Amino acid sequence: MSNPKVDRRDFLKITAIGVTALAGAQVIRRAEASEPTPSGGRQWAMVVDQSLCNGCGYCVMACRAHNDVSPEITWNPVLEAGQVGDKKIYLPRPCMQCSQAPCVDVCPVKASYYRPDGIVMIDYDRCIGCRYCEVACPYGARAFNWKAFTEQNPAVPEWGQPEVARRPRGVVEKCAFCYQRIDRGLALGMTPGVDPDATPACVVVCPVGARFFGDLNDPGSNVSKLLKARTSYRLRADMGTGPRVYYLSATEENA
Amino acid sequence: MKIRPKLSKLSPWLAWLIGLGVVIAAGVGAGLIVFWKGLWITHLTDLIPWGLWITIDLSSIAVSAGAFSLCAAVYLLGLKRFQPVARTATFIGLIGYSMALLTLLMDIGRPDRFWYAVVYWNKHSLLWEVTMCVTLYLTVLVLESLPIFAQFEWLKMRWPKLAEKMSHVHHYAPYLAVIGLGLSMLHQSSLGAVYGVLKARPFWYRPDISVLFIISAVAGGMALTVFASMLSARLTRRASVDDNLLDRVAYFIGWTLVLYLYFRFWDALSMTYTYQPGRTEGLQLLTQGPLSFNFWVGEILLGIVTPMILLLYRPTRTSQLWRMVALALVVGGVVAYRWDTNISGLMIVLSYLPGEPTVEYAHYVPSLIEILSGAGVVAFGLLAFSLGVRYLKVVNHSLTVEEHENRKVEAKKPAPA
Amino acid sequence: MSKLERLIIAVMFALLAAGVTLAAAQAQTPQPPQPTNSITGDSCVACHKDIYDTWQGGAHGQSLTDPVFAEAWNAQGKPGACLVCHATGYDPATGELKAEGVVCTACHSPIPTNHPTDNMPIDASPNLCGRCHSDPRFVTENWKLSAHYQRSMTCSVCHDPHSAGMKSVAGAINTRADASDLCANCHKGVMQNFPTSKHAEAGVTCVNCHLGFNVGTTDITDFVSAHKAPDHSFVPTLATCNKCHANQMHAPGESVAAAAIAIEESGGTPTPLPTPVATPIPLVTSQPAPVSPAGFAGLAGLLGLAVGMVLSPWLERLYRRMNTGRMNTTGRKK
Repeated sequence: MSNPKVDRRDFLKITAIGVTALAGAQVIRRAEASEPTPSGGRQWAMVVDQSLCNGCGYCVMACRAHNDVSPEITWNPVLEAGQVGDKKIYLPRPCMQCSQAPCVDVCPVKASYYRPDGIVMIDYDRCIGCRYCEVACPYGARAFNWKAFTEQNPAVPEWGQPEVARRPRGVVEKCAFCYQRIDRGLALGMTPGVDPDATPACVVVCPVGARFFGDLNDPGSNVSKLLKARTSYRLRADMGTGPRVYYLSATEENA
Repeated sequence: MKIRPKLSKLSPWLAWLIGLGVVIAAGVGAGLIVFWKGLWITHLTDLIPWGLWITIDLSSIAVSAGAFSLCAAVYLLGLKRFQPVARTATFIGLIGYSMALLTLLMDIGRPDRFWYAVVYWNKHSLLWEVTMCVTLYLTVLVLESLPIFAQFEWLKMRWPKLAEKMSHVHHYAPYLAVIGLGLSMLHQSSLGAVYGVLKARPFWYRPDISVLFIISAVAGGMALTVFASMLSARLTRRASVDDNLLDRVAYFIGWTLVLYLYFRFWDALSMTYTYQPGRTEGLQLLTQGPLSFNFWVGEILLGIVTPMILLLYRPTRTSQLWRMVALALVVGGVVAYRWDTNISGLMIVLSYLPGEPTVEYAHYVPSLIEILSGAGVVAFGLLAFSLGVRYLKVVNHSLTVEEHENRKVEAKKPAPA
Repeated sequence: MSKLERLIIAVMFALLAAGVTLAAAQAQTPQPPQPTNSITGDSCVACHKDIYDTWQGGAHGQSLTDPVFAEAWNAQGKPGACLVCHATGYDPATGELKAEGVVCTACHSPIPTNHPTDNMPIDASPNLCGRCHSDPRFVTENWKLSAHYQRSMTCSVCHDPHSAGMKSVAGAINTRADASDLCANCHKGVMQNFPTSKHAEAGVTCVNCHLGFNVGTTDITDFVSAHKAPDHSFVPTLATCNKCHANQMHAPGESVAAAAIAIEESGGTPTPLPTPVATPIPLVTSQPAPVSPAGFAGLAGLLGLAVGMVLSPWLERLYRRMNTGRMNTTGRKK
């Protein structure tokens, strides 16, 4: 009669090795961290002309009003980015809507996801508030609702009216390229980037016309033409996040 | 049974219970305040969203690693004589994972959605993987602990058949050990990888952080098990230990520390070559900045080097006092490592503006609410372990030998004492 | 099964059903109220209460009820010409008006039949505002001279069309009471140097020279009377300077040029800067926090402990030796 103890131990060892090997094979097979954004269709992008931006902050206020953002959170802060000559240069920073977004990779419940048109969305009904995406974002574009926003929004109605629901306490929120305006505009036959009602609020309100929005896949859109005509850069492009917000530098000539 | 404590004749056990009760009550109160008012009353900010609670969570999971490592040693490597120690470790593991879950419940923004990770999957997310593994492993731990709960005298009296069935789960221990080993290997190192895969944080972005997490967990988990066993044996007659077993485990911990120091050394040294924004500053924070005492004294000197020497050097290892000191230092070092890792990466604020990235520093000091609720969770752990020692014979190296004989485990020779 | 067990199971089913229904009900989005196609502002308020309240409190909402207007209008015999702007939809032929005051549809018309699916139309250009505000006594002609207009800015860049007041930007860099806040918010480059100038020291702000307000004026009614509005070309002319410096122009003995040269040679006098707005404690610092003394103390404590452990038998021997005279010991050396 065979020795049952030895057999059982052998079985367990073989099982353990087999499971480990299978797991390893799975890991290697799925080495690419997440599905890349499907191409084709529309790919929204934003262009900011830093030679025009004067740091007035109107875009901050319009975003706050149209998306009902708490005054303690800024989806689209305007940062100081050095000077050219004696003119200060400003850099508005919305969410980059990365095509390889670290925030989408790390969310444990897939509350952050890609839309086919490239916008990175948050399902506020699914977010559990673990703040991993906030830690992972290289641009600091995400903000956590440490408290519920229950007061009157000071930017409303002077700068606009809320078009989306307020987020509850305990979830992370961020700029979403005013997808609500884009979707509604498209349904009404408008062109985002051309028709103000279909374009993100920050782009519309800019008094100096420093912001542009449009479809990268359309070679005739304003953003495609701008990016072809002028040198642009993206923030931390070296990290491989694939941001969709392009900046046109301010130079000595055009500042 | 009415207990009327007279302060003059307050037994140490009662005093201990009352002390823990006070801390737990404070912790529960603080936790309720957090649930009611929201996380803004903590000192966590958008720059440092993970603080004391996450450290407690990571540390609890780390020091529960004794369970999987000792169970693997007993059931998969055939070192049957360590089974009593594995028993203690399993119970500590159960407590540790419950502590981790309690802390996490307070820390996530939506505690009412804590179960979402089990239902909504994101297979690319390491935090999802950790959550799933922790949930599954907690189930394994519960099953592995059923024989321990079956030792509850009141249970054996009231529902003897249930106790019998619970005890019988022990028969499946080897299979549970395999599953537990697999799950633990996955999530102990994934907890490190949660930090390690973030390209946005150059100080964290390296593969060996997972290795460091699991090695330190194994060392810390076993150290806590042995320390708790020894301390219980000194404090109460209900706990009895076989010193030879603990001596062997302590020796193994010593060598684990050697391995840990080796990896730690190369991990730190490799970061000193060439300036990389974010990474170099992180290392400076650890070695010269506000975390330097935590690192050099807490982690390296007292957390690794001193216990390594004490545990590998026979005269100190066989001395009860020095062994306990060394083991306590190991656990402290593991906690310090997790605090340092979490805080150092978050304190570095790397600018994303064009040009060479510049570094600024954020700050964090835990608020009273966080400290109170964290202390409450730790006190809960201590209470659970104390009750286990008193009523469940969690630390009892002689019991298990009898149990083995009663259970008629298939062994050609009786287990060596 | 007993009645109690049946009841318990029934309660469980009830809770389950209630819970599922609650979850499903919360998933439904509430339907917005359906607006009617009426022309007054009353139907817009159902969805746009904030804007309605703002409008009601401002000049557009009160254009007919404002006491100054009402008094003057009544005194002049209620001329219909005023109602063209001060009311909405005034028909000079019939003398009827559609609404009192400048209501929503004065600017947002025609109303689409399926609003809110379709947006309310709005002409954001100065032409719409110019329909009332283009009286030669008013703004528009001067406005078209301004660089703002030539760079395609509209009235709503500075003015809130609903409250008919000035826009306010949170965190604008100055704390002045007049509209200079808004100017400074966009023209940050100018504001780098202006605060140290003699003009700023004398209390001159943007609106004094570029809009023609008197220095020290904060009450708009002090300057704007009836239909007189500030000069929106934003171009200061010689008349602007002469408001304060008339006596210095060609003054005998001390010419403006000499005065200017004297100032330049003296390097200017430092002017007191306006009280800075309290800066909050920064969330980030450029340097990490210094190493805490607690760590040093801890390390010293540990060293002290080790030293004490090692030296204590020695110290005890020393103490005993020092006290052999006084103590009742045999003084035997170990």
